[in-house]
Amino acid sequence: MMRRLEAAVVAFPAGLLGRTALAACAGISMLATLAHPARAQDGERGKLVYEQWCSQCHGLQGDGTGPAAQRMLTRPRDFTRGLFQIRTTAGGEIPTDEDILHVINVGMPGTTMPAWEALLPEGDRQALVAYVKSFYPPFATLPAPVPLTLSSGGRASDDRIAEGRLFYDSIQCWQCHGQAGRGDGPGAAELDDEWGNPIRAADLTQSWMFNGGSTADDIYRRLRTGLDGTPMPSFSDLLNAGFMTDDQLWSLSHYVRSLSPADPPQVQEVIQVERAARFVEVPRLASDERWDEVEAFYVPLVGQIITGDRAFDPAVTSVWVQGIHDGTELAIRVTWSDRSKSPDPTWQQLWQPRVLAALEPKGLGREPGARPDRLSIQFPAVIPEGMDRPYFLMGDSDTPVNLWQWRSDQTRPQRATGRGVNDITTTGPGILTSDAQWVNGQWQVVFRRDFEPNNAETELRFELGRPVPMAFFVWDGDSGEDGTRGAISTWYFLNLEEETPVSTYIAPFLAFLITGALGLLAITRARRRDRESAIGGTPAAATAASTS
Amino acid sequence: MKSYLGHPFWQTTIVIVTAFAVIRFGIPYLPPLIGLASAPVPSTVVFQYTVTVIVGLLVWASSNEERWQAFKGPIWSLLVRPEQRVLRGILLVLIPGLVAFITYDTVRPKFAAPPTLRSIHPAPPSQITFRGETMVLDRLENPLRAAGRTDEASATGKTVYYQNCMPCHGDYLDGLGHFATGFSPQPLPLRGGGTIAQLTESFVFWRIAKGGPGLPREGAPWNSAMPAWEEFLTADEIWAVIIFLYQQAGVSPRTWGEVVE
Repeated sequence: MMRRLEAAVVAFPAGLLGRTALAACAGISMLATLAHPARAQDGERGKLVYEQWCSQCHGLQGDGTGPAAQRMLTRPRDFTRGLFQIRTTAGGEIPTDEDILHVINVGMPGTTMPAWEALLPEGDRQALVAYVKSFYPPFATLPAPVPLTLSSGGRASDDRIAEGRLFYDSIQCWQCHGQAGRGDGPGAAELDDEWGNPIRAADLTQSWMFNGGSTADDIYRRLRTGLDGTPMPSFSDLLNAGFMTDDQLWSLSHYVRSLSPADPPQVQEVIQVERAARFVEVPRLASDERWDEVEAFYVPLVGQIITGDRAFDPAVTSVWVQGIHDGTELAIRVTWSDRSKSPDPTWQQLWQPRVLAALEPKGLGREPGARPDRLSIQFPAVIPEGMDRPYFLMGDSDTPVNLWQWRSDQTRPQRATGRGVNDITTTGPGILTSDAQWVNGQWQVVFRRDFEPNNAETELRFELGRPVPMAFFVWDGDSGEDGTRGAISTWYFLNLEEETPVSTYIAPFLAFLITGALGLLAITRARRRDRESAIGGTPAAATAASTS
Repeated sequence: MKSYLGHPFWQTTIVIVTAFAVIRFGIPYLPPLIGLASAPVPSTVVFQYTVTVIVGLLVWASSNEERWQAFKGPIWSLLVRPEQRVLRGILLVLIPGLVAFITYDTVRPKFAAPPTLRSIHPAPPSQITFRGETMVLDRLENPLRAAGRTDEASATGKTVYYQNCMPCHGDYLDGLGHFATGFSPQPLPLRGGGTIAQLTESFVFWRIAKGGPGLPREGAPWNSAMPAWEEFLTADEIWAVIIFLYQQAGVSPRTWGEVVE
């Protein structure tokens, strides 16, 4: 059987359709086998490519235990069980060749699996499909898998999204994905995959991180097929049982899609802080409704893997940053998805020990315990004049940084001076204030401070229109993160918007007057000359080109 | 329509508009056709090319007296003919308005991040201290390569790379690991002619061992997320990963012989 499928690959490398038809039609593919005896070479090629590019994560034996595997919380897939997440076939069935090729081609967003389509030649990727299948011998004997017949779902509308939400509740998606879809449901802390490794329930508000694609079509397909090897089941049986209609499953897909922004967020280097209307205070509270009207800037975070105890798979992968100032005072709100309000006894007990046990490197003496969530935002101690800045990772001994620290188990923030990750001294809150709320898997933390610091010697003084370098650090306590194990960013810039000075409008106004005057002059002169030439006997303006 | 196409003024107008569209929007779409990355044309170049086209067309229009008179016709009639009074009035407001807007766009306060200029491959020091031992970089060869242990080193290097370097420099050594977008500047690719292929192995050793914090000032050490790997790796592991890098990227290190020539 495997021979046959591989032969089909060789015989019809150009069209996916051709191969589907062939796989379904044993007679013809027998002929193909006879016509192409060269498939052994193809298998060699697959092995070669696999061992060069895939084995470091998926393992030489295809069992998902390559040398890099233990630094990923969503483990690389073990191919020896025949369980594949992203398929077009029914739950529990083996994937089609096209399914495997598709994942190789586009990768798996939100994981470490890259898209290989632009990196490896088509023949190599085809050979990989055959080689990956060879790790699960039943591929050779099972009947060719038949893709599910999937309907198309029409357009999203408010009504359909509302209907989808009803089914989100009734079929209990929230058990794992949470009330707002951030993967913080009551059952999320104890999820594990087929191999017993901890697995995070997907955060449905970040569609650009969806393993199997972000469109409503992709979501519908996954609801139909399930994600084999993970706790995500197939919901096709609910259709068969008449619990919900296909149309209603589409509504659910549209609802899930509606939880994320329409387009993936773009990273901008400068975070603009809007000026509040005059004489209105900047917001004190994280829940202040004015924040809804302020632009939010997306800042991706990655694991601290530079020094000390490293975080190869941090829990928090991005924050959204907003700012408002009133000319003398600045408020910054940082918002991020966090599945638990650490320290949460459930997560501390059910999640943290498993994550710490699963992730390499273990970290010396890192035991499960009550750890808070933390946020630090970082500024240089003075606005840099040239290009030089402090080292982005908490400064260095020559050029210290200011840190505004917040932690979920304390009500007041801390100011701190960083001279490197291992040299941080806190100096109390001073005039820095904070407010925080955790709702449905999301932290919102506001810092507020006057432009003038407590101590002008060691702390930053903000100025309008002068961008300040700024960086972010976030820790999820219930994932066992603290110290150097957490999520970090490099430098961004915070810009406090000035009022546009009146002088800005003078030059455009003058430009308008001068251009207008020149235009009038041109018309006046042209008409005078036209009249002069008319006196000379030429019909006025009738032969327009009469004078030069 | 035909009379418009035959008229030098409208011919000139059409050519200018077409030329601008090609320069501004067309050229950036050419490189992708041959598989290169698209590059927008800088506005100064757009300006320069457009001016060149306009001057050329004016020379063409005025090179023949009859054509020049015909060319000026529509302008002249716009300026003087009573029946074009309304259009004249509209343009007299619109054109200065446009000029005012362009001026405003130029003078209004803008907030861009300060430019970060850095030397990607700054001059290396003549010697470094690696885990307390002095190493002279000049003429330093990869000891594992010199000893002919490349196969064994490559296997070690592969494990070291995928455990430590892959999150940033990527599965394919293209600098596009899953952490790459989290850093500014982004991690360097290791394949292609611009990076390790033009460096000696001792230079690569220095960059790996000392990382971002070990860069000289012109390398903007405050921005680089490259760890100082001497904290995690032994000298042998670094030399092994270097052998693996060149092998997996399919390039050869620059040798000292070439430097002398």
